[in-house]
Amino acid sequence: MRRATTLFSTLLVAAMLAGPGALAPAFAQNPIQADGVNPMGARPTADSVNEEFLFKQKDTITGRVSIPDGKSAYLIQPQGREYREFREGWLPWIGALAILGMVAALGVFFLFRGRILMEHSQESGKKILRFNAFERFTHWMTATCFIVLSLSGLNYIFGKRLLMPLIGPEAFGAIAQWAKYSHVYLAWPFMLGVAFMFVVWVRDNIPNKIDWAWIKAGGGFIGKGHPHAGRFNAGQKGVFWMVAGFGAAMSVTGLMMLFPFALADINGMQLMQVIHSVIGIVFIAGILAHIYIGTLGMEGAYDAMGSGKVDLAWARAHHDLWVEQEQARTASGPQLNRPAKGHPAPAE
Amino acid sequence: MKAFAAAVIAAIALAVLAMFALTSNQRFAYQAFATSGARVSEPGTNLVGPRWNGDPRPDEFNAEPHGKAEGAGSAPKRS
Repeated sequence: MRRATTLFSTLLVAAMLAGPGALAPAFAQNPIQADGVNPMGARPTADSVNEEFLFKQKDTITGRVSIPDGKSAYLIQPQGREYREFREGWLPWIGALAILGMVAALGVFFLFRGRILMEHSQESGKKILRFNAFERFTHWMTATCFIVLSLSGLNYIFGKRLLMPLIGPEAFGAIAQWAKYSHVYLAWPFMLGVAFMFVVWVRDNIPNKIDWAWIKAGGGFIGKGHPHAGRFNAGQKGVFWMVAGFGAAMSVTGLMMLFPFALADINGMQLMQVIHSVIGIVFIAGILAHIYIGTLGMEGAYDAMGSGKVDLAWARAHHDLWVEQEQARTASGPQLNRPAKGHPAPAE
Repeated sequence: MKAFAAAVIAAIALAVLAMFALTSNQRFAYQAFATSGARVSEPGTNLVGPRWNGDPRPDEFNAEPHGKAEGAGSAPKRS
């Protein structure tokens, strides 16, 4: 009995000593106990560094790089997701609505109002110089660049959606490459043209009381008769300031993109592109209205930028104050075409 | 018409001038961002190989890859 007691005691002590050691490997391989609590008190998943924690320290997640290109250290920039959502989601719809909306509005206007016809008078047939050669040169340099910039700019938004399915990826790739070249390089004569136009025409585009009266009278678009106007009416002044303002904004944002990361970080670059694209779309829509009224919408208007000389009756109807001013300024009328003998010019 | 033609010619001329002015100051990223302590891979000679499968053959390292950028190579590592 005593031997049995001794053996039992020995086995019990051995079991107590060996038990934890024998179970240790099993615990080591599965430190999470049945109740889910780590015996060390650690919560590796919950306590690990996560995005939320990192974004509390800074609005981007960056690493460290050894090359002199600091932006390559960006790992996560959450604003980029918002930018992508705008670029791929909202922008095409904004662009389509603005541009097609303007085309539709002009179509409806043309259907209801029709072409604004020239009102003939005894002054018809005589010409008055409206824009000199340099003004027309500046206008057309800016205009031709604008058309190419618009088409190549729209290609950035709609090309892969509309053009590529029609012509295939290879042809689209080549066209997009050349469109990009034209966009980047024709931006320079465009910026120069906007600067020239501003200098040449700003004096005649300062808003005044006559413009308010012109607007209240509907600008001659509504009803009959023409309100008084100087060299440029309120509508034309609106186009001028739109071109000056939007041209400046497009130039600044465009230069920021031409020289990437020179003055802006990644977020700034994305912001520049958003501003550039939205203003560009509104700019295109506005210029569509300008093109309409300068060609199809009004008889006689195109001559001003075509030959530079407009019919005196047209000028008297649309810019009566300017005609009076010009005739008073140059009584001999160098800006007027000499009429046939026996038909004195109004200024004479 | 003369003003229009002159405007188009001037626009193209200015665009060509802008092209030369802009491209003359451009450098490839592997040139601009390489230092004596860091080499930036040259386009077309990346580690994944010209077939982009991560398993370039030995001869592909020295072969002239398609689309390789022209220009002076990056500075070799000193160490």
